[in-house]
Amino acid sequence: MAFIEMCDIVKIYPNGVVANDEVNFSVERGEIHALVGENGAGKSTLMKLLYGMTPITSGEILLDGKPVQFNSSRDAISAGIGMVHQNFMLVPSFTVAQNIVLGHEPTKGSFLDAEEAVLATEELSKRYGLHVDATAVVESINVGMRQRVEILKTLYRGAQVLILDEPTAVLTPQETKELFLAVHKLVKGGKTVIFITHKLREVKEISDRVTVMRRGKVVDILPTSKATRRGLARMMVGREVFLNIDRPPIQRGDVALKVENLSYISEIGRLKLQNLDFNLYYGEILGVAGVEGNGQTELAEVLSGLCMATTGSAVIDGKNILNTTVRNVRLSGLSHIPEDRLTNGVAVKASIFENLIIDRYFKPDFLRGFSINYRKVFNQGKDLIKEYDIRTTDGSVSVGVLSGGNMQKVVIAREFSSNPKILIAAQPTRGIDVGSTEFVRRKLVQKRVDGSAVLLISADLSEVMSISDRIIVVYEGQITNIVKNTPELTEEEIGYYMLGLKQQDPEEMRANL
Amino acid sequence: MKRIFRSNSKKEVLRILMAVFAALLIGFVITLFFSKDPIGAYVSFLTGPVTKLNRFGDWIQESITLALLGLAFTLVFKAEIFSLGAEGQMVVGALVSGVVALFVPLPSYFLIPLALIAGSLAGFLLGIIPGYLKAYLKANEIVSSLMLNTIAIKIYEYILTNFLKAPSGGYMASVYFPPEGTLSSFFPNIPFLANIRNIWVDQTTITTLIYVVVIAVFVVAYLMYRTPFGYELRMLGANIKFARYGGTDVKRATMLVTAVSGIFAGLAGAHLSMGVHARLLLNITAGLGFEGVVVALLARNNPLAVPITALAYGYMRAGADIMERSSDVSREMVVVIQAIIILLITAERMFPEVRRRVKTRRSKAAVKPTPKSRS
Repeated sequence: MAFIEMCDIVKIYPNGVVANDEVNFSVERGEIHALVGENGAGKSTLMKLLYGMTPITSGEILLDGKPVQFNSSRDAISAGIGMVHQNFMLVPSFTVAQNIVLGHEPTKGSFLDAEEAVLATEELSKRYGLHVDATAVVESINVGMRQRVEILKTLYRGAQVLILDEPTAVLTPQETKELFLAVHKLVKGGKTVIFITHKLREVKEISDRVTVMRRGKVVDILPTSKATRRGLARMMVGREVFLNIDRPPIQRGDVALKVENLSYISEIGRLKLQNLDFNLYYGEILGVAGVEGNGQTELAEVLSGLCMATTGSAVIDGKNILNTTVRNVRLSGLSHIPEDRLTNGVAVKASIFENLIIDRYFKPDFLRGFSINYRKVFNQGKDLIKEYDIRTTDGSVSVGVLSGGNMQKVVIAREFSSNPKILIAAQPTRGIDVGSTEFVRRKLVQKRVDGSAVLLISADLSEVMSISDRIIVVYEGQITNIVKNTPELTEEEIGYYMLGLKQQDPEEMRANL
Repeated sequence: MKRIFRSNSKKEVLRILMAVFAALLIGFVITLFFSKDPIGAYVSFLTGPVTKLNRFGDWIQESITLALLGLAFTLVFKAEIFSLGAEGQMVVGALVSGVVALFVPLPSYFLIPLALIAGSLAGFLLGIIPGYLKAYLKANEIVSSLMLNTIAIKIYEYILTNFLKAPSGGYMASVYFPPEGTLSSFFPNIPFLANIRNIWVDQTTITTLIYVVVIAVFVVAYLMYRTPFGYELRMLGANIKFARYGGTDVKRATMLVTAVSGIFAGLAGAHLSMGVHARLLLNITAGLGFEGVVVALLARNNPLAVPITALAYGYMRAGADIMERSSDVSREMVVVIQAIIILLITAERMFPEVRRRVKTRRSKAAVKPTPKSRS
């Protein structure tokens, strides 16, 4: 008998979306179970149901063979189920220990027993090899430790089962390794782990069994030893995918974008970018690697004109584009795939057609007298929908109804079809499914082959390493390494620079500029 | 044009009709408690505006003002800018067009267009201010536009009392405009229909501005759905960050939207001074500026629906006047009904959410207690 069994689970959201369609899912005690699938495949929904966050439409959850009903996460927690979300839910101004005991505080009289909290934290931390500093304030600790705090928090509440929702998305390779060690230790200590991911390599590395979901249904459950990356990808997408994209040898051209001494101080006075110097050449993909929050976001926004640089210059064709306007930057031939597509990349309330013209509606091509030539807008839109394989019934539907991957294709279609000389792609495959990821990477490589310059900013190190020609590593707003992407380069090596543990020799850096 | 804003408009109309109907019903129930003759009161409320020609005229005439104000609010609301400056823009529009009508000696076919243009221009210029303050100084447009209303009204009163007040009259008003500066009846001067025309001219003050309104509706629809300006406006409303990221000068666009909206509020003001009253008087708007909010709200910010909602809302206001005069139910009763309509229509957007909550609460109540086991 399985430890957790979810039988014939159906979940229909109030808007009619069938997120889970008669799903059967089971987890054995003491195993590491990977749950994979494209975005929108229903894996998060399934876990939300198990964690009591949203009510089940029909179906049953059995825990140790006994039916249970969770009306809220509180019920799930008291039944021994814990979940670590992708976005951490910690109180930034509290210490690690305070965060961990929050809600179940040890008391002395009617006061919080602070000592006991610290002791409990340290005891748990030691037992499972999840190193944290119990007295540090959460604001001051890094992402990896925050995640460990989250895990300890669920353990403190007596979790027997831990659901980890894409835990490695924010981690460096080194931190990922640490996490995996900790997960193994947890399992040895009798816990059960459900691991949601869409990184297939991690599935192979850590799990005992894997459940693949597609379109709200379970496609297969199999022991990891029998799974291959390619086979899993095929099951997730429903067709053959090629994650390694062939890149023809580099035909590097002239300097497309020359960045010198670029600094940026944010509105609240934080130094986010510090004296950056680098060149971007035509016909190359320059990858920017780094743990998130080390200035990548700001770099993209400053270069695309959304933020004003504090010092420095960025020159295209002899003209400094910094601190002008977004339109000016775009008219100089720079396109920008923004990192947060829902904030910047699309207007979900507007139609696909309208989303495709935000950078060009004012151009003479698109005008007829005083009005926008909507016939042209529709025709262009239809062509782009076809060319970029945007899955929709019609271009006049609002972008909000599209899936994440298709939304991203709308962004890509627009930014690519303006024929940019320079393309800034920030997190271009974040949160989209394997099939769309392959598509996007292919398009990026195509741009490079066509002679454009591509600046690829990605938190997914394997993405940076798989398609970049050169790599810049940033740490705390500074460049710690500029290196050619050769087969000898390892993720571990890059990881040291991402963590700021190594700093490239200035001479060497200048040579790779 | 259909393809751009494909909405389930039939459902929308039905929902609004249901909201109106429900509000009328609730209103009737309340009336039952307060009136000795509730049915008579309600009949006069519901049929009043079409029982006499002069009442019909009052209804249409007020609907013209409401439609212009509705268009003004449609423009800003569509861009998600909550400027409530129409009241002030209307006052200034009335003042400037009135001054032109009073003092510029020109034949009417020059003077009328000139005065109308002057009135709209005044609205445009005053409209720039809240947009500018919002775009460049991050001032909340609700606050700044309300403040500006007060300023505009006080300036109007100052100029009226000190420079324009008719010397003879005890009432705070200017002299009547010369015929050249007054809007003429909408009824064309066709010789063989002269008798009918005379009846209309005698009993109603429906002016040629009704044609301007018809044109204005199509102009706003064209601006909003066909021009780059309209595209920018709608993208501001859909996602301002997206507009900015795409290269739109959102500051300039914000300013332009509030300014263009002012044109129509200014025209509404011109209608009041040159059409309805044919003079400038104290409290000329009677707070009508804010009623345009309801018109735009009912029309769901669709300019093509504005004439219909303006007529409907105008009908209710006209009916209210008549009910007040012909029964023991006070005008406040109608204000209650109006408020209920607004509530129902805004609340309607929340229905799905409410339904969801009720459902979950029910399902929670139905389930058996969970076996609590902490291992």
